[in-house]
Amino acid sequence: MSATTTTGTGDLHRSERRWGRLFIAPPVIGFALFALAPLLFSLYAAFTHWNGLSAPLFSGFANFRTMAGDPQFWQSLGNTLFLMIGVPIGLAISLILALALNRQMPGRAAFRVIYYLPGVSSVAAIAILWQWALNGDFGLVNQLLAAVGIDGPNWLAEKHWVKPALILMGVWKGIGFSTLLYLAALQSVPRTLLEAAMLDGAGAWLRFRHVILPMLSPVTFFLVVTGIIGGAQMFAEINIMTPTGGPEFGSATIVWYIWQQGFQNLQLGYATAMSLVLGLMIFLVTAVQFYLNSRNIFTVE
Amino acid sequence: MTMRRRRFLTGAAGAAAAAAAGVTAGCGNLHSSDPDVLTFMFRGSTEERDVFSRAVAVFEERTGYEVQIISTSADQYATKLQTAILGNSVPDVFYLEPPRTMAYVTNGVLADLTPYVEATDLPVDDIWTAGLDLYRFDGEQIGKGPLYAMPKDLGPFSFGYNKTLFEEMGVEPPDPDVPLDWDEFLERCQALTGDRDGDGATDAWGTSVNIGAEIHSYVWSNGGDWLSEDARTITIDTPEFAEALQYIVDLREVHGVTPSINETEGMDGYQRWLRGQIGFFPVAPWDLTLYRTLDFEFDLCPYPAGRTGVSATNIGSLGIGVSAKSLRPDRAAELAMFLACDPEAQAIIVGEGQTIPNTRSHAAEWVKDTSIEPRNKQEYLDIVEDYGHFVPNALTYTPEWMDAFFTNIQPVLEARADVGEYLAATQPVMQDFLDSAREQFRIDQEANAR
Repeated sequence: MSATTTTGTGDLHRSERRWGRLFIAPPVIGFALFALAPLLFSLYAAFTHWNGLSAPLFSGFANFRTMAGDPQFWQSLGNTLFLMIGVPIGLAISLILALALNRQMPGRAAFRVIYYLPGVSSVAAIAILWQWALNGDFGLVNQLLAAVGIDGPNWLAEKHWVKPALILMGVWKGIGFSTLLYLAALQSVPRTLLEAAMLDGAGAWLRFRHVILPMLSPVTFFLVVTGIIGGAQMFAEINIMTPTGGPEFGSATIVWYIWQQGFQNLQLGYATAMSLVLGLMIFLVTAVQFYLNSRNIFTVE
Repeated sequence: MTMRRRRFLTGAAGAAAAAAAGVTAGCGNLHSSDPDVLTFMFRGSTEERDVFSRAVAVFEERTGYEVQIISTSADQYATKLQTAILGNSVPDVFYLEPPRTMAYVTNGVLADLTPYVEATDLPVDDIWTAGLDLYRFDGEQIGKGPLYAMPKDLGPFSFGYNKTLFEEMGVEPPDPDVPLDWDEFLERCQALTGDRDGDGATDAWGTSVNIGAEIHSYVWSNGGDWLSEDARTITIDTPEFAEALQYIVDLREVHGVTPSINETEGMDGYQRWLRGQIGFFPVAPWDLTLYRTLDFEFDLCPYPAGRTGVSATNIGSLGIGVSAKSLRPDRAAELAMFLACDPEAQAIIVGEGQTIPNTRSHAAEWVKDTSIEPRNKQEYLDIVEDYGHFVPNALTYTPEWMDAFFTNIQPVLEARADVGEYLAATQPVMQDFLDSAREQFRIDQEANAR
């Protein structure tokens, strides 16, 4: 297939275009059916009183007024934001790991597999695994801490420790994926640039700071964006590890709260309204990120 | 070239069609379109599934109706069922969690079983009255009016004790008929708490309180309650309620007769009970098969009684409901009633015990069997017939108000927060939830009346 097929207008290309449309039809129809249609419906449902058992009733802005005055909504939103501390921590660790793995050393492939393993495991399995690891007394984490003389807390049952515990798990889970991407990006940093910098007298740190880091910025950007979107939608781990929203609602994320309202408390209309607000927030944050990114783009001329 | 493409496309279209068919079949199987096949949505362990499959097989054999069992894990059940309701593919017969009765009836999800009960030959009258009443709803209050589900079982949450530990510590066992008062209970607990192996660390305790499950007993027997009679006002800010909660807190924080916070972190009360370190502990029917394998003897006794002098505890239950949209409601109702009270089905379900018999006549026989623990099985029947209550989140439109009580309770249990202040501060929060549930009930009631 040459590039001309897309711009051609003659009979020769008509069938090609038809085939082309046919081939893109499945994803487009899939998107329309399973993403766009629910989105449009949610635009309506957010303005209704809807218990999920019978038909929705229009209720104007009632759901949004409730939301503004709902302490649990704000708390779960705050919890979700707090848990995102894990994003930069995870990126820093991944970068360090990628730098280490980017050198010729024996067993590199094995390490890559080990770091990537959590990324391909089921979230439910990981959550159950960590639930045990974080157990107050005989959990692995506290046993390790005990080995260095620290008396670890009961992670999942204490208000102040449940979030750090979840961050720890999140970082561990995400590290493989980001390390792999960083590694790929590191390997594509042009050798010529590094050599030029060396000739200019740049040491290892300066080369890292002014050549490698900027070359990695597209990957960092991608990871931050997906990390924030993923973090804003954290649910399964919470529902398995702290099924009631954690000590003093300390680990209830916004999506968990949406689920709880929609499926436990017959407030599907309210839940839809919250989802809509969450979707809007994610969109805005991502838009801001794209804007900031476009202002300091780094290119090799 | 075109040939090959076309062939590929036909194949792809075929695959897509097959996938689409798979999807529709996947959605449709909750609600049978074949009127001769009943669907029964079930949740529970693999053992329970096995037991119920056997009971259902007897039903199929006897009636000639085909039943398809849809099994889900307990934690996914509510979500799955609600999705089925939303998708208008409710199974013919399904388990009903009591806190959902009001909402399901108001929104037309459940069929009224009263006419089927009147017409059947099955011994429905023999089922525990309290169990049937839990699923009655007259449009305003639970407990009266048409019957919307059969109780699958009743789970009397009895108190019990470790006989072996009592002997070892030289403590007089509790009377099976007369409840201890709170002072006596504390004394026994103090006598049970100690260091048996002499290594300087406590390894036996009087009791261990699971607040979510046991607070009801302490509150009710002290004359307190969660709700007013009409289920419209939260009444946790009464002296009776406060005294009960304070008593529970003091058991650990003042008297040290339950494992401390640190001690429960590693191994909770349940684990310690299984290891024979706890004197008094709840013994519910569903625990019996496990408890019988432990290397100590146990028996049942009434919960200690507060101010009222009368013991109290809660009764758990799960209902078996029939979809209002079932194509064969008569057969579906027959299955629900069959599982709840048919002697043959009950014999299979009660078996070696995860549950007590659902019918009075069966229970009267069952209680006489002293060959297996616990000997004092009568305690279970006393709870069901006499001093047990249902947790009142079954009496309201949504159960959220009760969840709110437990959200911030941890500091109180650790005596870092004052009981009275906590109750005073939490009452309005719970009241708000209760009021909005009430408001929601009104809206839904009106909408469905139209």
